[in-house]
Amino acid sequence: MAHILITLNNAHVVQAIIIGAVLAFLTANVIMNAVMKAMTTTVNGWSITLKCGQPGNSLLQKAACARILPAVNGVQEAAYWTTTVDNAGRALNGQHTYILHFTAGQIPPNAAFWSLTLTDVAGYMVKNPIDRSSVGSRSGLVPNADNSIDIYLQHVAPAGHEPNWLPVPAGNFKLMLRAYLPGRAVLDGTYHVPPIMKVQ
Amino acid sequence: MNRLILKYGYPITVAILAVLAWVTYRIFTTGGSDHATFIVVAVLVWGIGTFLFLYLWPMMTYSAFKRAIVRYGFDGSPIPINTMYAVPRLASPAEPNSSLLGTGTDNLLYIGGWLDLAKGPLVLHVPDMGDRYYSVQFTDPSDGTNFAYVGKRTTGTEVGDYLVCGPGWQGKVAQGMSQIISPHHSVLVMGRVLVESDSDLATAYALAKQIQLTPLPQWQPKH
Repeated sequence: MAHILITLNNAHVVQAIIIGAVLAFLTANVIMNAVMKAMTTTVNGWSITLKCGQPGNSLLQKAACARILPAVNGVQEAAYWTTTVDNAGRALNGQHTYILHFTAGQIPPNAAFWSLTLTDVAGYMVKNPIDRSSVGSRSGLVPNADNSIDIYLQHVAPAGHEPNWLPVPAGNFKLMLRAYLPGRAVLDGTYHVPPIMKVQ
Repeated sequence: MNRLILKYGYPITVAILAVLAWVTYRIFTTGGSDHATFIVVAVLVWGIGTFLFLYLWPMMTYSAFKRAIVRYGFDGSPIPINTMYAVPRLASPAEPNSSLLGTGTDNLLYIGGWLDLAKGPLVLHVPDMGDRYYSVQFTDPSDGTNFAYVGKRTTGTEVGDYLVCGPGWQGKVAQGMSQIISPHHSVLVMGRVLVESDSDLATAYALAKQIQLTPLPQWQPKH
């Protein structure tokens, strides 16, 4: 017995188990992130995954979905796009001003509602002076003369365009676009969200 | 805590790896150690552990959901097993950092509950939603698959009662009632009810509260 304990101690077995377990945890996370990346389509900076919550996913896909999008709706119920970058791939940051321009008919096709929500990079809503964390089909957006819609993402109110203003925080931020009961163009992947344009 | 990990994941990881590297360095530079055993044990635990983490991740995630629902609910009041709780307010930046509600949308009221069907089936009652968008999502907590939906897309917006039963339940389904068979006794249920505007919140909440569960023996047809 004493001999075994001395051997274990000399081999630092406890340290080996701790190191192996921590590496296993980190490796599992790297794998889940990589699997999620493989399941994700990114167009114009907007990322969407269509597979989470659906039957028939592999062990790795189930793990990745539980890690990143637990209890998420199936895409037939709701589609979610996220972005943290502008049209040139630079991080979205409140020191700049941005416009999201939907041409007429370019809003996400849906049979329930759509909304654009602003959060910090971790996904939590941010306090702002007009208490508005989202705009969308039910927020009273004012269309342009050609029926296109501009959403103003900036720190200060855009004069004359307050209904279409989504206030941004001082630092980096993240956007999530939701379409509940998304249309066929979303489900078959032909619909693309336009990029967030940085205003020069 | 969750928020800290999300925000500072990379620096935290680098710090942990630095500590491990230092420990390993100390072991290898100390004389008289059995380095081969150390490496074999570390690599074995690493390999097997990686598989186990991946395999068990959904179960770990959803058991944390269960713990959160049963102990703290969505806003501090525990949600007993086999009951549904409707959050009376919309998501906002005012939510505490630990609340999942802070990551939701402010267009929907959320409803949640955890089912244990081992004691028998439950009846899910939904009110007449009058064409309002809503959904009730049934998720298998062993792997995160949504195995059933009640709601506008799948069943419409009329009043209804749905018999939710576990695997292998043998019994008669009452007339006019649809049956939802869960693959396991444990089920995570998430409901969402659309709020049209600020002035619609009270109406939406009154409807959300009527999405309720009753154990089958106590259930009485209401219509």
